Order: sequence, then structure tokens, then C-alpha cells
Amino acid sequence: MIDVSLGHQPSRLCNGATRRDFLRVGSLGLLGFSLPGLLRLQQARGADQPPARAKSVILVYLGGGLSHHDSFDLKPDAPEEIRGKYKPIASNVSGLQVGELLPCMARTMDKVCLVRSGSHENDHHETATNWVLSGRFGSPFGDYPSMGAVVAHESGFSGLLPPYVAVPKNPAFTWELGKSAFLGGRFESFKAGDPNQPDYKVRDLSLPQPLTPKATQRRKSLLAAVDTLNAHVKGNDQMATYDEFQQRAAEMILSPEAQGAFDMNRESASTRDAYGRNEFGQSCLLARRLVERGVRFVTVNSGGWDHHKKIWDGLEKKLPVFDQGFSMMIRDLSARGLLDDTLVVAIGEFGRTPKINKDAGRDHWGRAGSMIFAGAGVSSGKVVGATDKEGAFVTDRPVRPADVAFTIFSALGINPRKQLHTPEGRPVEILSEGSLIDELYT
Amino acid sequence: MNSQASNTTSNVFIGALLCLGLLCSCGIATAATDAESPPSFRQEIVPILTAAGCNSGGCHGKLAGQNGFRLSLRGYAPEQDYLSLTNELIARRINFAAPSESLLLQKPLGGVPHEGGVRFGLKDRAAVRLREWIEARAPGPDARESDAVRLEVLPGDRELAVGQTQQLNVRAYYPDGSAHDVTWLSMFYSNDQTVAEVTRGGRVKSIRPGSTSIRAHFQGLVGTVEFSTPFPNTVPPDRYSRQNNLIDEHVFARLQALHLPPSGLSDDATFVRRVYLDVTGCLPTAAQVTAFVAAPESDKRSKLIDALLQSPEYVDYWTLQLGDLLQNRKERDHDVRGVKGVRAFQEWLRGQVTANRPWDQIARDVLLSTGDTTHVPQVGYFIVSIGEKQNVEESELPDSVAMSFLGTRIGCARCHNHPLEKYTQDDFYHFAAYFSQVVLKRQEKEATTLLVGTRNSEEIRKQITEVEKAIAESTSTVAASKTDEESKKSAAQLKDSGKRLADLQKQLSSAMARAPGVTQPRTGKMMVPQSLDRVAPTWKPGEDPRTALVAWMTNPSNRAFSGNIVNRLWRHYLGIGLVEPVDDLRSSNPPSNPALWAALNREFVTHQFDLKHVMRLILNSRTYQLSSDTLPENEQDRRFHSHYYARRLPAEVLSDAISTATGAPDQFAGYPLGMRATQLPDSGVASYFLTVFGRSERVTACACERTTEVTLTQLLHLGNGEAVSAKVRATNGRLSQLLKEADDRKVIDELFLSTMGHPAGTAESQAVQNALADGDPREEVYRDLFWALLNSKNFTFNH
Repeated sequence: MIDVSLGHQPSRLCNGATRRDFLRVGSLGLLGFSLPGLLRLQQARGADQPPARAKSVILVYLGGGLSHHDSFDLKPDAPEEIRGKYKPIASNVSGLQVGELLPCMARTMDKVCLVRSGSHENDHHETATNWVLSGRFGSPFGDYPSMGAVVAHESGFSGLLPPYVAVPKNPAFTWELGKSAFLGGRFESFKAGDPNQPDYKVRDLSLPQPLTPKATQRRKSLLAAVDTLNAHVKGNDQMATYDEFQQRAAEMILSPEAQGAFDMNRESASTRDAYGRNEFGQSCLLARRLVERGVRFVTVNSGGWDHHKKIWDGLEKKLPVFDQGFSMMIRDLSARGLLDDTLVVAIGEFGRTPKINKDAGRDHWGRAGSMIFAGAGVSSGKVVGATDKEGAFVTDRPVRPADVAFTIFSALGINPRKQLHTPEGRPVEILSEGSLIDELYT
Repeated sequence: MNSQASNTTSNVFIGALLCLGLLCSCGIATAATDAESPPSFRQEIVPILTAAGCNSGGCHGKLAGQNGFRLSLRGYAPEQDYLSLTNELIARRINFAAPSESLLLQKPLGGVPHEGGVRFGLKDRAAVRLREWIEARAPGPDARESDAVRLEVLPGDRELAVGQTQQLNVRAYYPDGSAHDVTWLSMFYSNDQTVAEVTRGGRVKSIRPGSTSIRAHFQGLVGTVEFSTPFPNTVPPDRYSRQNNLIDEHVFARLQALHLPPSGLSDDATFVRRVYLDVTGCLPTAAQVTAFVAAPESDKRSKLIDALLQSPEYVDYWTLQLGDLLQNRKERDHDVRGVKGVRAFQEWLRGQVTANRPWDQIARDVLLSTGDTTHVPQVGYFIVSIGEKQNVEESELPDSVAMSFLGTRIGCARCHNHPLEKYTQDDFYHFAAYFSQVVLKRQEKEATTLLVGTRNSEEIRKQITEVEKAIAESTSTVAASKTDEESKKSAAQLKDSGKRLADLQKQLSSAMARAPGVTQPRTGKMMVPQSLDRVAPTWKPGEDPRTALVAWMTNPSNRAFSGNIVNRLWRHYLGIGLVEPVDDLRSSNPPSNPALWAALNREFVTHQFDLKHVMRLILNSRTYQLSSDTLPENEQDRRFHSHYYARRLPAEVLSDAISTATGAPDQFAGYPLGMRATQLPDSGVASYFLTVFGRSERVTACACERTTEVTLTQLLHLGNGEAVSAKVRATNGRLSQLLKEADDRKVIDELFLSTMGHPAGTAESQAVQNALADGDPREEVYRDLFWALLNSKNFTFNH
């Protein structure tokens, strides 16, 4: 036999140790020497969940795709067809400028971390939205459960409030997104509706006509008398689930906790005004009320950012509303001490094209986009990542959809590599790639 | 640059070493006469990694690999795996100098940290053989070796008592007739782990009474055996003697083998409600119930079944089922058909159901549709399935056709070989190639047209039209030219155009003569149309390749085609498919009753794919007509049809049932008042109720799009929602009419009859009387009673 050793060119790991060092340690153990705790240490670290930094997450989703050039990543030195109409203004963080339509955010940038390097390769609304909301790339139909559904699956109900609430509803272009995919109907979002409506009530969370306690009791006993199926049919899972949710639905009607969470009238008029008397502003306010009461995952879904035509008209309607509602939510969460354990993320499915098109609009652009993180230990007053001088490509620290999702799951103490199972038993990791956006915490 | 250069050098270096290694191992093999030859990479090493789970979908087998180490899913590409193991990071994964230190051994032995944990022990055969393989210088896959062609799992089907175990033995048969025991290299799975579990080594243990398939996988082959554990009941044989037709024969034989007694026959009132809901999607009226219960004829059930199968409501309801199956919806904004096109396709489907057209003919007319959507509405199927994709093989079309018409999931094979079936990536693209000549011509203001050709041939045709126009122009210029110079110039142009035309015509005929096919992205090879059982049809230039697909599909011997629809009918009427999920037929997922499966398929095919014939058989069987009431001896059964399985009504049916019961019809946007939900053509019609109760959005071909789950939102909506409440209170609704009746007995019975399908029982009646006597206004009490009836499972479930 020819003795050849391929071991003379050890590759060096990042920490300076060579892979062979590990091998040696391992093989010593195999030969009967005591393993110097390395394996055990490693296993212990692997088994440890990331410590939860956040009790709750508020995900503000800007459906259609926010134009980063006109909001958080202005390019004042670029030619006009790129830099657009708006001028940068100074923020309360030195050296950090934002667009002139964001004066309130300018005064709030010290509480958030701006990431200018969101990046992926898809320019299709549904596909990119599913990617961003789930952290996994799949078909436009949403093969993977959105983050909220995974959180619901992992944490379940706490009290009477559902774990995943969408305000006012799930995002949708041609069809509904943000769904639970293979996890099933039990983990779909609970839709709160538009809290800015006069006489706002969550659908079916209150009775159309109030019932006296006597009538409530009567309904209950009549239902017990006429629902005789349980007496004859045993072992039916669907029937058991029906009974469980029927009871929960009845309790939610009677529960001051469940009712109160959605009662916008418990907020002072001045608070409601401060958030803005519009769907987005009041949705932000409701999101705060929900995390205050322990809801784990709230999405605030704001559509209409798809400005292919007359982008200035569009942004002059959308940005001031966003500016007021979002900044107020950050400041309010902060003032109440809620920002310490609530992670807030604002993100769209992509940014928009650098060059203004013939219709005075900007088109889909997955290569670059801005997003905001705040709370639950995220460094504030900071900018992560950068784009080139035209805002077209990321030049520093690209942040991919899987990284955003990884960071969100980690914040909630959910292992992003945990395996879920499809109904057919196919193992699917929550995330197949991605890593923590370390810069948020340094 | 530097590291790349050094990688290349080391690869060459390694390659040289491997050659030496191979030579060397050959030397050993000849020298050591009786010793076992070094393990074959293909026959042993890859199966070892498969059996240890290394290349599973949750681990190194997934597309991205795991921690930088990627293997093909369950070893479908041994050549590729060999490169990953040897070329990449060779010094670490395989260490010839110290074989035991190779990561390939250390990782699964747990000698070094391994996220996947310890996979086998030092003395296990897997570890020994891996080590021997490395010691033999890691010989690569040998092209002359062939994979096994068939598996046999011994001792075959058998019964076990709870707690009893049985060791399985797996034999692999090779093309040369040889057979080897591959038990230690096989992976074992139980299709229902709550019934029987199986260890990695193939020891089966019965957990509870029931029946399940145990699968053994080796080299992409699957062998299944059925393990049954009878329920601990003693059932007199005469409990199985009352049978109506061949369905009962097979169902009851299975029940008898499992010692499961069937429940009794449902009573007339229960049956009439059940059969109306299942066949027509509508509740029977109080009068229909009463008349049926009172009718004296002994064959009244089969008469009712015949009548319902001829009713217009049956047409509505089954048009809805086909609309789901064929995904009748507006695709997206680019779908210029709009809702009009969706309605037209629905109308076409209604025609098929009304005429009870044979299923093979419906399939043919959809799959071979050509022309524009105005005249051929079923082209809509292609618009939805192809979506915005340029090339059909990138679209959902191949997956959708396989799922909807063959109940088969080939989508896995788009990216990797199917882990549970024989389907390879090649199979997927061969199948997709049937559609390689489907071209959707989308026009801004006109109907989308489906053409058979290629994108290229369409482009050439367009150019030919342009050149012909140019020739016509030049000809007239030549004729009209006044000077020699002008005439010369035009003549030259004419000559050029003529040349160009001849050239284009040549291009066109060669484009048309090119065999249809698509490119397999992993290998870059051209795949021609070929059926899933790997028969390539002959193709004549100009022929639509889809014709061969449909011929193969609808051949009476194609059990996937007949089984798919028969199974869907079975699930519709009996709550659970003989195969579940209904769109996942495969050899490793056998039907719960193979004899019944065969019999139903035979019936369907010999009756020329007559859907109603199968429905009639099912509905007239005693099996379908059994009570949903369980017996203590059969309440654990959820699969063998010892009783009718109570289940939540589907979205549209429940919505209509509430409207019918309350006498308050719905108005859906864009449709006339009173149009029932089961009649809606379009899954896009706004309805909170239908969305919440899980109608199919028809976005994919998956049967799971229609959800049968029970959710909190549903119960909130039923219990607290304005919709139900308003219908109860409707001015001209049932309750306001009934309240004019002074006799409470009559009011109560009428309310029960129109919701539950039977008059109030004594206890129920008493509860209502007590409530009425409690001092609150009569109207309020009745409203609450109505609310209770509509919220009871007796109403919201079919049972």
C-alpha cells in the first residue's frame, strides 16, 4: 500500500484552531481517553435556545414596496432622474439624514436602527412578500408558513387573545398572503379589522345585540339540550375541536380582557390624534395595545406602496401617514417601557428602481431597500449597511429575507433551525438559511 | 484567486491519488481471496448514508446541504455524492492516512461535534464498512454496476397482537437475477406510527389495534407490507351479513378481519338529510324530510338517490367540485378573460355534469384544448396553470395536471428525485415535455389563444407575414417606378426579400420538425415527452404532443387516472379517501382497502368512466348508509368505515344551509339575490363566511386548498356574527313567519325539522318549553333556540 497522507495542509478555522485539532480531540475520546468536555460543551451550546430578547413582535409591512430613494436612503448627489424630488433633512442622529416627508421619523431616529441594505433577487409581489414574511423562498402561492403562523404554532394561546393578530387584515395583492401554509388553519392570523372605523369592533368579537345574563344562560342551556351529537358519536377529533373553540368564542364575548384589548375608546382622544386618525395610525395604536396584553406577533399591514406612476402624488399621501403613526408608536412604546421587550420591524417586499420611469414612477427592485428595526435590545441611532451612489445595489452588509426572519425568531427565543413537519411528514426547517443581523446588537 | 488556484491544484492532486487508490484496492481484492470485496460506493456506501439519515431532507440531503456538506436527497445522484465526499475538503472528510479519523466516520460516530447527533456505533456494520471503504481508498461508483430492480419484504403482510414484534427482512433483486439481503441498508417507515412503529433495523411493533403499511426503502425502491392488529372485540359473523352491493362486500371483509363491528343502519330522517347534503349540497326542506320518512316503499332510499342524481342542485354542486379540481379562477391582472372567462368555463363544466359526460372525455377536452377562450373556455385551465411563466416546464402546469388528473405529486421531482416514489428529475421534465408546444398568445384587447407550436415557430410565422408584406410593396414599387435607378433599387430589395422569405420558410419547417422537448436544468439534457411509467410515444411532425399524453392517461389500464377520480368521489361521500391525501397516490401509500380499490376502479373503467355509476354504487351501499353513531367497539376507527364519519359541512354548503333554514337568502356581489353559494362560478366572489370556512381559493391543484378544519374564527362567526343573527331576525324569514303560529309544539318541530332534519325529541322539547315558561318574551326565546340549533354540531355537521 502506498502511504499518502493528505493531512499536511490543515485548513484553518476562523478561531485559529485547525479542523484537525478538533479531529484529534475527537479521536482521543474514541480511543478511550476522556473527552475534554468539548463535545459536551458544543452540544450544550447547540441545545440552548437563544435567550428571548422580546416578548412580542410588531411587524409593519409596507406592501407594494417602499421607495428607499425617497424615504430612508436619499441620494442627493445622484442625477435628478435618480434622486427624485425630495431633499434630505437632518435627523436627531448626527450624520443621519432622512427624506423631507419624514419629519417625525427624523426626530425618532435615535430610537431605531436603520438598515439600508435589505436585498434579494425577486421583483414579483407575491413571491417576494412570501419570502419576506416567511424568510423562505418559495412559489408565489406561499409554500411556507409566515412568521406569525410559526410563532402561533410555537407559542399557542396565552390567555384568551390569539397569538398572531393581523391589523387590519393579512396583506393581499391578487390573493391573501401571510398565511399558515402547511401548519393549518389553527395558526392563521386573527384579523382585527380597521380600528379607525367609527364604532370599530372586531368582527364577531361582540354580539350584534347585547344579551342579558339570563339570555346568555338560556342560549347555553338550549345549545346543550339540542347539540346531542356528542352523546352518540365518540372519538371524532373535528367535533372535539369544534367544542373547544365554541367555548373559547363564548368566553371571549364575556371576557373584559379580550374585549378591552380591542376597545379603542379606552385611549384618550389626544393619544388617538397623536397616532393619526387614519387606518395606519390607529392600526399602530392597536398594535401597541395588543402587545401590551401579551399578543406575541402583530402585523400592521399597510398596502398601496406600489407607485409605478406619479410616485410623488402617491408618496405625499402615504409617507406623512406612515411618518406620524410609526414614529408615534415607537415613542409611545418607549415611553411606556414596552420597547424594552417588543421588537418592531418595518419592511416592504422590495425597494424601488433607482431610475424614475416614463410615468413618473418607480418600479419593483429587490436588489436594495431600507428597513427599520427597533426595541428588544436593538441598538438605536444607528445605520447598518449601505447602497451605492445610485441606490441600486448594496455595497455593505447585505441583509437577506432569511436574516430578517432569523433575527425575529431569535428575538422571540424560537430556534430558527427547528424542524416542522408538513401533514405528509416531510421535515421542514423553520428557516433553511440566514443568520442573526449581529450589527443590530452591537 | 490564490485559494482558487490552490484548490484546482489540490483537486488534480487528489484525483491522481484516487486513481492510485483504486488501483491499490483492486490489488487488495485479488490478493485477499475469501475476504469480502471492498464496499461498492453505489450498492453499499450510499445506502449506508441513506439508512443513517445523513442525506435526508432535513439534513445534508436538502438543497442547501447542512453546514457546507451536501448530499443528494436519499442518494439519488451517487456520482455527485462521490464528488462531495472526495473532492471537497478531502483531507477532512476522508483521511486515507488515518481512516478512523475521517470526518465521514467521526461525525456519525459522535467523535466530533455533530449537529445530527450520533448515527451509529463503532461496531455497527455501517461503521465497519465505511471504514473498510476508506481503507480501500474510497473506490467510486462503478458504471457497470446496476441498481436493484425490485424489493421483497418478508414475511409479507401479517397480523400482530398489541405489543408483539416482528423483524422484517428485505431482499433486493438485481437484473442478473441475483438477490441480496439489504435489511441493514434499508430505511423503514410506518405510515401510521400510532398503529405500529418500526425501528431503524426493521423490527415492527404493534402499538394499538388498526392497520398500517410499513415501508422499506432501498436505492429509490419501495416495498410495503401491511401490518394489522385486530381490535379486541368478539363480533358475531352475522353482524357482517347484511350487504347491499360489492362495496359492502369489501368494506365488511376488512372490518371483519379487524374485528370491527359496523354501526347500525342510519334512520330515515338522518339518511335523507345526509344524502341531500352530500349529493346536492342542499338541506332538505321540512316537507321533503317528512314525506321521505313517511313513505312506505322498501326501495325508497335508492329511488331518492336516483332522483337527487338527476336534480339541478346536483349539477350545481358537482360543477363546484370540478371547478375546484380544475382551478377555475381568474389568474391575475394579466388574465384578460376576467370573471367573464371564469363564468364561461363554469358554464362549460355545467354542461359536462348535466350530460354526465364520461370522465376520460372531460379530461381529454380540457387537456387538448386549443383556440381562444371565447370559443374554448376550458383553455382557462392553461391560463391559470401556466400563469406568467414563459416556459411551461417552469410553470405549475406539469404539477397541476399530475395532481388533478393522476392524483400524483411529481412536484418534488422538479428539483430532486422524489423521495417516496420512483420519479426522478428526468421523469418530471419528460412529463413536462408533453406541454412543450403549448403557447399562450396573449393579446391586449382580444381573447387569449392557445396555440400548438413553439415560441420560435410563432416568431418565425410573424416574420414571414412581415416579409410577405414587404414583397408585395416592393412588387408594386417596381411596377410603378419611373426611372431605371428606382426600378433597380426596388428589384434588388425584392430579391433580398425573396431570399429572406425562403430562408424563413426553411427555418419554419425545421422548427416544426423539431421533436418536442424541454431542458432538464440539472443535466442540461433535452427531455422528450415520456409518460410517468417511462414509455416514450412516437411523435410525427406537426402533431400535438398532448395527444399522446391523453391517450396514455385515459387508457383503461391506467389506475392512476381512474383511481384519482374514484378516490375523490369516495372521499366526498365517505369523509376520508381510500388513499389520503387524495392527490398523493403512490406505491408507498397504498389504499386502506386494496380489494375495494381494485373493484371500484374496475367498475368505473368497465362503465366507460361514468362518474354517476360510481356515485350510485357508493350511495346505495350499506357502508354509506351506516349510522354515524359509534359503538364502544368501533369508536377508535377513523379509516375503515365502520360508521359514517361525522364532519363539518363545507363552506358553501353551510352558508346555503343557514340561508335555507332561516329563509333568508344571500346576495353575493354581482349575482342575483338567492343565488346559492354552491352555484357561484368564481372563488374570488367576496364572502367573509366562505373565506373563513375555507372554500378553495383554487390557486393550486392541491386538494388541501379546501379546508375542512375547524377554527376559532369560524366559531366566533357562527356564535357571535351579525350574519347568522340577521338571518334569524330577517323580517320575512322563517322565524317571523312561524311566530304567527300559536301552537308552540308546531313551532318547535318546524324549527327542528328545517335545521336538524327531524322533529324535536322529548328532552329537547322539554328544554324549550322550560325556557318559554321562564318569563322572557316568546320571540326572544325562539331566537335563542334558533341560534342554538344553528350553532349545534347536529346542524353544522353532516352525520
